[in-house]
Amino acid sequence: MKQLLNDIMFLWSAKPIFRVAGLYLVLFLLLVLLLPWLPLPYNPTALHLDQVYQPPFKISLNEPSKPAHWFGTDALGRDVLAYTLYGARTAAFISLPVMLLTTAIGLVLGTCAGYFANTGLKTSRGRLLLFVLCAGIFLYLGLYIPLQVVSLNLNQRIIFESLGMMLLAVSLLWLVGLRVVEQVPLLRSGVAIPLDRLVLWLIETFTSIPKLVFILVLASFMPPSVVLLSAVLVVTYWTGTARLARAEILKIKQLPYIEAASSLGVPTVRLLFYHAVPNLVSPVLVTFIFGLAGLLAFESTLSFLGIGVPADLVSWGRMMAGIRNNTAAWWLVVFPGAFLVLTVLALQVCSYYYLELLKKRKN
Amino acid sequence: MFFFLLKRLLLALPSLWLIATLIFLLSRLLPGTFGAENILKESGDFYSTGTAAARKAAYASFLHKTYQDLPLFYFSIQAAAEAGTPAANLPEQERKLLKKLSWHYGNEEAVAAYVNCIKELRQELHIRDNAGHLANIEKLYTVTEPEALLATVKETVSNMGNTAPSLTSKLQTSAATLVRRQQPYRAFLPAIYWHGTQNQYHQWLTKLLQGNLGNSFRDNRSVFTILKEAIQATILLLLASMLLTTLLALELGIFLQKQSGRRWRRIILPFLFFTDRIPVFLLALLLLLLFASPDYFQLFPVYGLGYYTGAEENLLQRILFMAPYLVLPIICLVFVNLPYLTNQFYRTMADISHTEYIKTAKAKGLAEGTIIRRHILRNALLPIITLLSDFIPALVAGAVVIETVFAIPGMGSLLVQAVQARDYPVMVGIVLVVALAKIISHLVADFFYTLADPRLRLTAS
Amino acid sequence: MRKFSTLVCFFFFFLFFCSQPRRQPGEVRVRLVGDPETLNPVNYQNAGGLQIINLLFQSLLTVDLADEKLKPALAARLPAVERQDSVTLFTYQLRDEAEWTNGSPVTAADVAFTLKVLKAPLVNNEHLKPQVAFIKDIVLSGSKTFTLVCEGYTPEMELLTGDFFILPAYLLDPEELLTSFSLAELSGNQEKLAENKQLQQFAARFNNADFARNKDLLKGSGGYELEHWATGQYITLKRKENWWGKATGAASSYLTANPERISFQVIPDNTTALLALKNRQLDVLESIAAAEFDQLKQNESFKQDYALYTPTIYDYTFVGLNTRLPKLQDKHTRQAIAYLLDPDNLIKVTLNSYATRTVGPVPPTVQEFYHQELPLYSYNPGKAVKLLTTAGWAREKEGWFKNINGRREQLTLDVIFRAGNTVYENSALIFQQNASKIGIPVTVQAMENSLLNQKLKSQEYDMFFRSLSGNPFVFNFKPLFHTSFAHSGGSNYTGFGNAESDALLDAINTAGNNTEKAKLLKRLQEQLHEEAAIVSLYYQKGRIAVHRRFTNTKISGLKPHYDVSSFLIKD
Repeated sequence: MKQLLNDIMFLWSAKPIFRVAGLYLVLFLLLVLLLPWLPLPYNPTALHLDQVYQPPFKISLNEPSKPAHWFGTDALGRDVLAYTLYGARTAAFISLPVMLLTTAIGLVLGTCAGYFANTGLKTSRGRLLLFVLCAGIFLYLGLYIPLQVVSLNLNQRIIFESLGMMLLAVSLLWLVGLRVVEQVPLLRSGVAIPLDRLVLWLIETFTSIPKLVFILVLASFMPPSVVLLSAVLVVTYWTGTARLARAEILKIKQLPYIEAASSLGVPTVRLLFYHAVPNLVSPVLVTFIFGLAGLLAFESTLSFLGIGVPADLVSWGRMMAGIRNNTAAWWLVVFPGAFLVLTVLALQVCSYYYLELLKKRKN
Repeated sequence: MFFFLLKRLLLALPSLWLIATLIFLLSRLLPGTFGAENILKESGDFYSTGTAAARKAAYASFLHKTYQDLPLFYFSIQAAAEAGTPAANLPEQERKLLKKLSWHYGNEEAVAAYVNCIKELRQELHIRDNAGHLANIEKLYTVTEPEALLATVKETVSNMGNTAPSLTSKLQTSAATLVRRQQPYRAFLPAIYWHGTQNQYHQWLTKLLQGNLGNSFRDNRSVFTILKEAIQATILLLLASMLLTTLLALELGIFLQKQSGRRWRRIILPFLFFTDRIPVFLLALLLLLLFASPDYFQLFPVYGLGYYTGAEENLLQRILFMAPYLVLPIICLVFVNLPYLTNQFYRTMADISHTEYIKTAKAKGLAEGTIIRRHILRNALLPIITLLSDFIPALVAGAVVIETVFAIPGMGSLLVQAVQARDYPVMVGIVLVVALAKIISHLVADFFYTLADPRLRLTAS
Repeated sequence: MRKFSTLVCFFFFFLFFCSQPRRQPGEVRVRLVGDPETLNPVNYQNAGGLQIINLLFQSLLTVDLADEKLKPALAARLPAVERQDSVTLFTYQLRDEAEWTNGSPVTAADVAFTLKVLKAPLVNNEHLKPQVAFIKDIVLSGSKTFTLVCEGYTPEMELLTGDFFILPAYLLDPEELLTSFSLAELSGNQEKLAENKQLQQFAARFNNADFARNKDLLKGSGGYELEHWATGQYITLKRKENWWGKATGAASSYLTANPERISFQVIPDNTTALLALKNRQLDVLESIAAAEFDQLKQNESFKQDYALYTPTIYDYTFVGLNTRLPKLQDKHTRQAIAYLLDPDNLIKVTLNSYATRTVGPVPPTVQEFYHQELPLYSYNPGKAVKLLTTAGWAREKEGWFKNINGRREQLTLDVIFRAGNTVYENSALIFQQNASKIGIPVTVQAMENSLLNQKLKSQEYDMFFRSLSGNPFVFNFKPLFHTSFAHSGGSNYTGFGNAESDALLDAINTAGNNTEKAKLLKRLQEQLHEEAAIVSLYYQKGRIAVHRRFTNTKISGLKPHYDVSSFLIKD
């Protein structure tokens, strides 16, 4: 962490372009955080029905008291400037957590699969059995019943009762079960969990079912919401990172000095992570940034297909999709588009310099 | 080597089965079925064409014909309180009430008796055509909590006064029994029901094993024919764009790696980022507005893959005839996929260029081009192959927007239509084909892996 | 440098291909939103399919789009109607000149065969079967005359008895598998019939994809035949040589087959279709986006080639409120909401004024039945506040509150509509703003179509935007507004209705003459207006462009809004 800060300080003083990009990102972050307290002339969701599709930079002379719509207005007379700024906020609030979560899941699953392979993770049969039983209980009491209650519109009380019962059953099973397992020799013997194969299976399955199917299916269950959209994205995006991480670990495990170290009895975990993580940074960072910005484009594609995010969510994608109803309204695309491009560009520049630095240090 | 690939293929089969099963179950979970819209005419017209009862009967016979009235899987797990699903032919309202009450009271006999009472009362009132009391009855369909239920029943009975006294007293007693003999804990106990082979999954799987993907609900053609048609329409587009993208990405990656390309890197990489961020539909729209509209350059046709001329053509003629229609979609697809690929290619090559053996090669004084093509590229092939094998299904399914905008009937738009129309056989068929394509491409990737990396060859054998 | 030259070469290579598609003279190009999927006349799936089948096959009656009147097609004249106690008899006479593609005449036996196909079990006829469920039997009297025996009487029956495509028995049932059955028999117990071997054989044959696509089997009495179908791309129809309809004389001049070839182009995306039109690749395009239509109006070079039309189409848009909810039970609350909708601005902003306001479901163009004196709900927040107070709501800091059945409830509204429909979405957002101005919190939620239907059917909603397609001949509003359809799952989603409105709806269906009917319909409109469970917004105006080289386009408010078979090339 300290290293990272030092690197940033170094780049800041050495590379002027990095400074510009960094400054932009800092401003962007500030904007995102402080936006609600900024004095904007218009609310992003306020409609002005008498000023629809107003082109940008047009100052109305008739009503000097009204502040101008510097970036024009959209189909409902919403101020494009305010909308674009608030869109940045939404973009950051959706894509950052989603990408962090996907990267975390991908890294953990990928490195575990690569490290433990098919034989590395061992446990006793009894514990495995208990685990499966607990999973069953969780699925029934923790998932099935609450879902039924919600879909049938039953009393919410049942959900809480069910969850409480689940906790009780699981802890009881674990307490009593472990004792029993220790007594039975058949259950005590160890088995290896083929973690690598399991993770590969998961990756294969998730990447084989088109993302669109997930979303279409989910959209027909419940109205699309930000949480739902994020969940779908997390579920479908983690595979890329996981695969990269796994491949990297496998590659490093075969390096001669790691093999030598492990044969000498040196704990390989630390060694592995010490070597693997720096190698992972570069591809993972690329996927992260591409994913981050890709999310924004993806969301506008969804509104194109008519699946759509909630109607009152302020987003760049939604504004850009507005051009389909009026191909002459170029300002709906240009301003949010420019903002989007600038942000991504700044991210890219920063990551570029940082990667260069890492590369240099490695040599 | 051969055995290694065979082993991989056999290992891939369970995952194919898993995907197929998953998507089958997922698709049947979708609310609404094909035909519900058309047959039940829910979207409604101004004048009714056919009575609701006739429509319901037609719908039921449709479900029966397509096996959709069978249970989904070999077994089902439900709360013990639910006691099997209420018969599908019951009216929606009644079924819902039955289900809700069962959850609350866990005593299906008492629930059935109570619901039956309401039903009888309603029929009686219908015969007497008593609209005011009917509204009362409607209220009974909405309450489930014990106190509210008893109160509503009491209110209803007192409101009705002397109309149908035998039925109202029956209602009152059945409601009392229901509340008295409730077993709410039964909602938390699971019950397993066994359906045997008379289930949708079994029917589908046996057909699938015989190589039959089923028939589309929409036009009754076999799914195989439909898929073949969709693939044929877009295969040229996909192949051409994929080939072009890969070549361009490789060339660009190499170019950026060279000393002479360094200067360009600052321009090309951001530019690629820029194109990658443009939403696909916008890019397509932009291309159309620029190159297919009378306002700017009217160079290419706007949509489709050609039109009917009536003349017989051979393959080459057909391709030549189709070519102008494909230009814009191909450009679009290349633009969409190029940035990611180029970037990944460039990064992997850049990483390798800093390893010791490349430095040695440089020290030996080898020409730059030779180093890049001979040494760097060869070592970068591994990750590149992985990327490409992942690329195929994404390309097939990801082309939806381009297919919609350019009016090309490909797999992507077929998938969206199938999901929206709830045409399950087609939907499952597409996912299966995509999964298959992916598994094959993985196999191919594995094959190349073993060729490219001698270390893997050793571990494989 | 080498790269650059390669690029240039590439570009020229492209340009080499860039030729505009040649147009065939006498071909009309029409856009379809989606592939028709099947052209089976008893199992068509969408409006596009129906439009094409209409050119291949004919029904007994047709609507002439020129004057929007019901006219005989295969029938020689409109049916003679005879009402008896429990049945109604419709007697039809077929045209003498009507013939199939092979020259054999269209006979009453063909009509009987068609009805049997529509009613037979196992055949994929589910969505038309209910439509003819009221036809109990057919009595043939001579080869060209027959009587349909129908159960009961409703006003739309005349339309419905003439509204199914007549199929050629010789082509579709050469083995005469259905001949031995009578229509009455086929209306009987379906389960028992489904075990019949002969019926099974027929169904298996008829459900085959051939009957959905094969151009040798899809041959009807219409003026066109299927020439080529490239799935998802286009369908071309060819005019028949010596079609019988040409020889019917001036009185039947509405039976037309003028263009030599009609080509239906499948273009799913609206923007693409519009570009194709601007490129002169299409001859006809309807439902152009309102903002784009206004721009086309300004485009002089475009207007030289295309004529623009805006007929009032029978698409009725309204807002529904769930009257069963305690918070919306009081009609004053609903009226207050109606005063917040601001339909004038909705029309202006979301449709660029391409719509006509209406007080109720009766189209304003049908002046005989439309209630002119009724005031329209317009934006009036002051009145809304007053009405809310009348309904017992009290304004507090967070919004409007009221004690209902001992529970304190806040007035909040969740507006739902079909996802992907920008007009509804924008309308909902405008309403949201208007409501928030007086302190009613409104959430706006787009929903996938089947999810929306499910919510409406099970009455789990507050408020919805929706439209219905109608016509100017039949006004049977019973399924929409009668309380017998108000149960969960019924088609009266809002739960509107009282004893008087029920009586009115019944009376409208049996009204003897138009003055009486007008009186009843006007009373119904008053009721609907007063109750405000359904707040009528507007009837849309179609936005259609047709190439100027055609005349006799018969632009109309009825679907498909133009009659492509009547297009004549200008000299």
